[in-house]
Amino acid sequence: MTKIQMIRRPGLLVLPVLLCFAGALPLLPAFGDAQQLDHTHQLGMKVKCMCGGCNDSAGGCYHVGGAFSGPCDTALGMLKKIDERIAQGNSDDLIVQSFVQEYGQAVLTEPPHSGFGRVAWWIPALALIGGFALVLGVISRWRKRLTPSPALATAGNAPSISNELLDRARAQAARDTED
Amino acid sequence: MDVFGSFALILAFICAVYAFLGGMAAIVTRHPLLVKSTRQAGIATCCLIFIATFSLEYLFFSDNFSAAYVVAHSNRALATFYKIAALWAGQEGSLLFWSFLLSIYVFSVLIAYRNKNGELMPYVGVILAGVQIFFLTLNNFVASPFKALAIPGANGAMDLVARADGNGLTPLLQYPEMVIHPPNLYSGYTGFTIPFAFALAALLARYPGEKWIHLTRKWTMIAWCFQTAGILLGAHWAYAVLGWGGYWGWDPVENASLLPWLTGTAFLHSVMMQEKRGMMKVWNVWLVFTTFLLCITGTFLTRSGVVSSVHAFAQSSIGSWFVGFLAVIFLVCLVAYLMNRDYLKSENQLDAIVSRESSFLFNNLILLVSCVAVLSGTLFPVLSEALSGSKISVGAPFFNKVNIPIGLLLLFLTGVGPLLAWRKTSVESLKRNFTWPLIIGLLSGVVIFALGYREIYSLICFSLCFFVAATIVMEFYRGAKVIRVRSGASYLTSAIELTMRNTRRYGGYIVHMGMVLIFIGLAGAAFNQNVQKELQPGGSMQLGKYKLVLQSFDSRPEANYTGLRLNVEVFVNDKPLMMLYPERRIFETNGETGTMVAIYSTLREDLYVVYAGQSPETKLPVIHAYLNPLVKWIWFGGVIVVFGTLVALLPNRRAALVLSGAQQPAPKPLVHGMTPSVTYREGHD
Repeated sequence: MTKIQMIRRPGLLVLPVLLCFAGALPLLPAFGDAQQLDHTHQLGMKVKCMCGGCNDSAGGCYHVGGAFSGPCDTALGMLKKIDERIAQGNSDDLIVQSFVQEYGQAVLTEPPHSGFGRVAWWIPALALIGGFALVLGVISRWRKRLTPSPALATAGNAPSISNELLDRARAQAARDTED
Repeated sequence: MDVFGSFALILAFICAVYAFLGGMAAIVTRHPLLVKSTRQAGIATCCLIFIATFSLEYLFFSDNFSAAYVVAHSNRALATFYKIAALWAGQEGSLLFWSFLLSIYVFSVLIAYRNKNGELMPYVGVILAGVQIFFLTLNNFVASPFKALAIPGANGAMDLVARADGNGLTPLLQYPEMVIHPPNLYSGYTGFTIPFAFALAALLARYPGEKWIHLTRKWTMIAWCFQTAGILLGAHWAYAVLGWGGYWGWDPVENASLLPWLTGTAFLHSVMMQEKRGMMKVWNVWLVFTTFLLCITGTFLTRSGVVSSVHAFAQSSIGSWFVGFLAVIFLVCLVAYLMNRDYLKSENQLDAIVSRESSFLFNNLILLVSCVAVLSGTLFPVLSEALSGSKISVGAPFFNKVNIPIGLLLLFLTGVGPLLAWRKTSVESLKRNFTWPLIIGLLSGVVIFALGYREIYSLICFSLCFFVAATIVMEFYRGAKVIRVRSGASYLTSAIELTMRNTRRYGGYIVHMGMVLIFIGLAGAAFNQNVQKELQPGGSMQLGKYKLVLQSFDSRPEANYTGLRLNVEVFVNDKPLMMLYPERRIFETNGETGTMVAIYSTLREDLYVVYAGQSPETKLPVIHAYLNPLVKWIWFGGVIVVFGTLVALLPNRRAALVLSGAQQPAPKPLVHGMTPSVTYREGHD
């Protein structure tokens, strides 16, 4: 077995890879499940704090720059309302809808999946689908251009290749194999 | 000095106008003296902007409180360090700083290529002067930083006055990173002007071949490197200062910095298609145009206040100027493209679907989709209000839902792309390159799952990180092994030698490795924990394995603020580990408060302790503590990304044909009578 063949044997490559990355495993913390928020804060994450001074959700308001780094009075008030409505036995949807009625759709932290809000979700999806179709179209067009080289097709009785073509082929080969 | 600076700006504007108009005349007449004089006018413009910028800094350092901008953003007690940062604390200074950084790039280009690329440079000079004219218009006539402080006098006229002291710098900006984050980010934004100018110039001049790509590749990488560093420094600043426990909130201004980074990243990949195969010429030109347009859009979003942002300190009614500029730039690009599009015809075709070319296409698609998702989400509140009459908010949950799958797809392509060969990848090559990385990726996923990790995206992310890292390590290992066999050097020396022989390729791999580390850090966010509690001295709270005991709290007056500090002792398993000192700062000059978070950071997790303030009812200090896993990997990954980019910018030490002396069978002729000068390799860049 030559030295070049040796380095192509994949089995020989495993050891350094495993050594490098097995070492990283113990660094991963012993996660449990992600922290579970209480029901009030879970719903609070679905509505924005409407104080006008931050872009946080009511459940995650830290009101950066405020005198207190935590839920501001507005967020606390909204969380209190959620608490009360949970106690009244309202469903999650009903509680969120009550805030929409009070503040409009601007209170939601993400666009609704109905009405004009659906457009926000469609745009990335359409971009992905449209882009994918475009890429496939481009690939297909480029593939159609792939016709057998006359030099190859008529090999045997082909005319000699010009120096210019030879230079271009060499340059292309160099580009494909270097850098 | 304010008059001096103001005069320098006016002169700079005049010089830029001359460089623009004279440059156009020079393109038409090709008169050598005109070409030379317009280039020198461009250089003079830059020098005058340097003078104006230093003049404004001088006003800060000399506590000249007759200048309105200095009064608004500085005070005598402000540390010297932050008087540098005060330059970009407000609208007017930020715009001057933009002109300053742009001028550094323009100056460098005009000097570096003064005797080269004679056909292209007059066009480049005109385009750069055009961009400078826009910003100098703002600097001179819309948002001048040299306005004198004036109050209405008794007779109704304005009287010039000087204040004894200034209002001081926004507390959020009084943090060391704020001295380096904006310059990095702005250097990224402004740096993309150079590839834009070269791309547009090449199109207008119908400049032959791929030379403009070669000329601008390093400029693009420099801009990209600054943009990357700027984004990460901003994230670190948000993490260490804002006190909300996170580093990325999908704020419109954060998003604005991400947009040109995404398209710039796409360009850095797709540009190889043009260099290697003469393909994607139209795409590349439009990617550069789009990147520059997004840089201006980002500035528009930051400055205009059109979307609500926590970066409210920078907002004004200046947005309409940027909209106008965007429209002009877009029209110029469109007309230039329509008039010269036949020059951008692709030279080659795709030989196989499973090839490096295809992977670049998909890489670009994913990056662009992410860009569209972020841009549309950022602008959607405005669009919804305009089109439906009802404002619909788009917050972090939307961006996370849309971008996390996209990011994972991109991570997958990061592993796959570099191992595919140009033109065509054989099944044998696929097996050779992907078998072990796939096994390692899947195995790591199984192990992590067995350890109890159940967050699906994090699980996928960790597996992909191992997959990508394995592909990169194997690439280094393979190359280093060849050198080691031939030279007898150690693996490390061989890997360094390998990298230095082909800096672009292996620098790129280092960048990819940095991105892997960043993704590992991002995946940790799914497991964040936090707890908030008010404590009496001696009271304690538990978070994970850490027990926090409030020992005492005190107040200490400093030159520019009063610091309210908690002394918190941290225990692990009842053994004292360390002291942490979270702090709140009260700035006397403006009454604002700032947070200084105390962080105990390890590779495993960050213990992040915030002094939230006093409880309104009990007046006791409230501590908000977070346990954020793997955050340090993000910053470490960022350093690796920047390092890799710097490596990629280095020239190659020597030719990269590592197999040139090895025993090889005679190469087969490619076509009748033709023998290639080098052999094809699969799976290499």
